Formats: sequence, structure tokens, C-alpha cells
Amino acid sequence: MTADPRLEVPFCGLTLKNPLVLLSGCVGFGHEYPRVAGFSNAQVGAVCLKGTTGAARPGNPAHRVVETPAGMLNAIGLQNPGVAHVVEHILPTLDFGQTCYIANLSGSTVEEYVAVARQLDDTPLQALEINISCPNVKEGGVTFGNDPDMSARVVAAVRAVTDKPLITKLSPNQADIAANARRCLEAGSDAFAVINTLQGMAVDIHTRRPVLGNVQGGLSGPAIKPIALLKVHQVAQVCVPHGVPIIGQGGIASGTDALEFLIAGASAVGIGTGLFYDPLLCHKVLADLQAYLDTHGFDTIGELTGSLQHSA
Amino acid sequence: MTTEATIFEECAEIVAHRHWPGAQHVLTLHAPLTAAAAVPGQFVHLATGERHALRRPLSIMRAMPGQGWIEVLYKAVGRGTQVLAERGVGERLALLGPIGRGFTPVAGRPRALLLGGGVGLPPMIFLAEARRQLARQTLVLLGSEVPFPFQPRPSQQLIAGMPHGVIGTMPLLEDWGIGCRLASRAGLPGCHDGFVTDLARLHLDALDEPTREATMLYGCGPEPMLTAVAALAREYMLPCQLSLEEYMACAVGGCAGCVVPVHEPAGLAMRRVCVDGPVFDAAAVYPG
Repeated sequence: MTADPRLEVPFCGLTLKNPLVLLSGCVGFGHEYPRVAGFSNAQVGAVCLKGTTGAARPGNPAHRVVETPAGMLNAIGLQNPGVAHVVEHILPTLDFGQTCYIANLSGSTVEEYVAVARQLDDTPLQALEINISCPNVKEGGVTFGNDPDMSARVVAAVRAVTDKPLITKLSPNQADIAANARRCLEAGSDAFAVINTLQGMAVDIHTRRPVLGNVQGGLSGPAIKPIALLKVHQVAQVCVPHGVPIIGQGGIASGTDALEFLIAGASAVGIGTGLFYDPLLCHKVLADLQAYLDTHGFDTIGELTGSLQHSA
Repeated sequence: MTTEATIFEECAEIVAHRHWPGAQHVLTLHAPLTAAAAVPGQFVHLATGERHALRRPLSIMRAMPGQGWIEVLYKAVGRGTQVLAERGVGERLALLGPIGRGFTPVAGRPRALLLGGGVGLPPMIFLAEARRQLARQTLVLLGSEVPFPFQPRPSQQLIAGMPHGVIGTMPLLEDWGIGCRLASRAGLPGCHDGFVTDLARLHLDALDEPTREATMLYGCGPEPMLTAVAALAREYMLPCQLSLEEYMACAVGGCAGCVVPVHEPAGLAMRRVCVDGPVFDAAAVYPG
């Protein structure tokens, strides 16, 4: 597909060639999906790399994934080689001319978030995503993300050590996501990713054990799309007046899904679990977005963001 | 970015779909890119035809590059495979393949003992067919607790160490001139009453030492069988490669959902079954 300037999206100082963002945890460190003929990171606006922590982490025991109705649970547990390895061995292999690469940083303590951010600051990465919503680790992650005070502390601490655009990935597992977004915005977040997975569980009735080695996991896929849409809509009420963009994500598996998120208030849309159903999904979503612009008389995709018409 | 594209997304037409007792199904799919590139031990990630369902990783049993088809065997054990079993000839399924690292030969080990259990049969059949083309000595031992997904027939081949009456073979392998015997605890005629590893032990004990030292093991099957095959390999000091399975989401290495702990020189590592495997060295996975 040739670049279509109508699909370009300004995103906290960056220009994404289109609104599609490949989501952290679904596409490794960028080298995995290009094994599939016809797939290229260059097709999307940005790629969020696998969650990165201070030290290497082995992740959770098996099983780590299981299918659920119209979705799946995962409990990977932030398996990653640690930030030093990422900086020394992985980032130099990425072609930063292809797309925007965004790191996803995580930690068990505020200090670990800061240490990872410091090491990622002096790299060609175009932005940093703060993961305060991973449901599959015992410390940090969602325990920070569900507490607005802690969320804001993490964001402020990271903000103090980097000038790169900061995206805060918000948890849906909290009472008032908009209130949390407001706190993170005040603490210096430039953008939001809405939403991370919902906490869930599956039971094997034959063994009467939890299916996942970690007992609980994060639910993703089309099953969570209505929830994600509402959260995007709620966070947009906080963000839009400040010109702060949102990556809408949660169960997007078609162009129609992507359009719903844009209309609800997102500037960009994340594709994750949808790739597992269809690794060449991005082509189709982009073609659908172009067709929508053609048939509905919009000049740019950005005109759709937050264009939700309120009921009479 | 230097990643080479080795996996193809194909809209595969169902050429044949044969159904066997024990909820076993043999599916033949027209997938020419996968058929041309596949090697034994690799698998395909197959959509079931149901919307919003994860794909199912299925080992390739045969690949015919000339005709452009591949064959897989699966057991309908859950909703996804049950939906798949309802798909008919002429329907199309999204297929991603071929995926993973396959079996590799080991220097100084021209003879191979292939052990397949249940839905672990397919990679053994594929490996046997590939070895046949290389004219390598191969013995295949297959085990099943339900009737085999083929009609066994008496073998004309003599195989060292086989007990009296254990004469059943897989017709396809017999036609290829490859030795094969069957094991089952379900009382199937012509089969050894026991596990494939029991049959393997009888065979290995009947070999002279130079022959045994020229032999290696390959295995695929349920977890208890793999553990037993790894133990057998340790006991007889034979190199052994096993094809593993694990719940899988992306199948291309992106999600790290399908890992197994693997003992490596640098320590224990969580490796992805999809692209770091599915074939692993038995001693690294089951060090004993």
C-alpha cells in the first residue's frame, strides 16, 4: 500500500503515517511478525515494543495463554531480556526510518520505572509508553495503575528524566479511569493508551486447576471492545480539551472497529490480539479506513477523532 | 530489519476431510506455498472457520509440493477443533505456515527410531516420508489408545525384537518400505499391548551395539509419553529430538505465550514452542 497522506496522524509531536499502532506484548521486539510474507512494520504508524524492565525477567510458567469466547487470556509476566540488552542488542537492529518505535516500560518500583526510562532516553526510540496496567505481575503493573496517586507518581518520576513523548497505558480495572487520566495528565503524560487488558481467569474442569500458570491473566480480543470504547470515550472527555491524544485499543479486528474508536475519541488505534486471528489484518483495516473517507466525505482521518454525535 | 519472510498466509481450500473413530480427523488442504517449503516437525496455524476464535497449531503430516497440498491430523477435543471438524470439502480456511524449527539429522546416527503417540503421529509420518526419499534406515513405532486413524494391516517386514503377534503396520509406511509397528492398550488386533516406549525398548535390546550406536530417537506425543521417550534416550544414551506442543496465540514468536523451560548452557530459559521449537533436544527439555 502506498502512503496515503489523508491517514497521517499528528501524535504528541510525532507524525504517524497512519493511525495503526501495533501493541506491546503482541509483536515482540519488532522482528517477529515480519516472518510472515506480506507483513511489514512499515505498514503501520507505530510499533510498541515488548514490555521492558530493569533486569531480565523469565516471565510466568505455562500455560500463558488460553482462548475464551471472542477473546483470550494471557499471563506472560513481562518476559524480557532487561533494558540493557534491549538498548545494546535490539534497538540497533531496528530500522527507525520504517515506522515509529515506542518502548513499553515497566517495573516493580517507581525507581525501576525511572531507571528504565533513563536508559531508554538516549536512544532513537520515538516515544515511551508507561505500563502501569500489566495485570500479570505481582508488584507494580496494575497495582500502580489502579491507584491514581501511584499512577501520577510513576508518570511524574519518569517525566523528570526524559523529554521523549510519554504515553500512559491505563488500566480498565479501576473505578474511575477518567480521574486517573486527569492525574497522569497533570503529572506530565503526553498521551494515553486506553485500555490494557481486563483481569480474568479460566478453570480446567478436568483437573480442577486454573488453566493459567499465573492463575489470573488479562482478557483481550473482541469480547472487551465495548468496554474499551466506553473507556476511550470517558478518557477523551479529559484529554480533548488539552489536545492530548489517545490510542484506542481493545478488541479491534476490523476497519469498523477502528472507526468506532476514532469516533469515540481516539487519534490512533491499537491492533494486538486481532493479529493472532489475522496476521495481515492491518492491510484490511487501512483499506477500510480509506474507503470510509471516500464514501463519507472526510478529507483526513483526524477529522473523525471525537466526532461522536450525541443523541438527540 | 533483516527478518526473512518464511511463513505464508494462505486461503487454503479443503481438498479432503476424512473422519476416523475417536474424534480423529485427517484434513487435506490446498496450500501450495506451505507445501513447497515445509519440513518435518513444522506445523501450520489454522483458522477453524469460526469468527473471533484463535487459530489452532497442527503438525504437518504430509506435504506434496508437486500437487500443492498438505495433510494434518487432529483430534476434536474442544470447541475449536469441533468446529473445524464440521468444515467440508471446498470450504476455505486461513492457514499460516510452515512454522517452526523441524527435526535435524545428527552426525554418525544414520538410523532413526520414530516414536509417535496419539495426535503426535503426524510429524513422525512426515519425517519417515522425508527419510525414505533420502534412503535412510527408519523404524516407526506408533501408539494410540483409540483406533488408529488408518486401517492397520499385517506387515511383511521383519523387525528386530518384536513380540509374537505384533504384526500390525500403517499401510502407507508399509507401501513406502518403511518398518512400522503399533502399540495400544486398547486391545487392538496386531498391536503390542503396552506403550510405544515398551516396544522401542524391545527393539533396542535386540540390536547389536554398533547398530544401536548408529541410532537416534525422534518423538512426538502426549506429555507422559515424551517424558518416557526422554528417559529411554538417557538410558540407552541415544540423541533424541522431541516435538512439543503448548497453548499458542500468535504462532510467529510475537506474544511469548507458548513457552517451555529449556535447559541451556547459560541456564534455564523460557523458549517459544512456535519459533524456537516445536522440536527441541530431549535432554534440554527433560534433563532427568
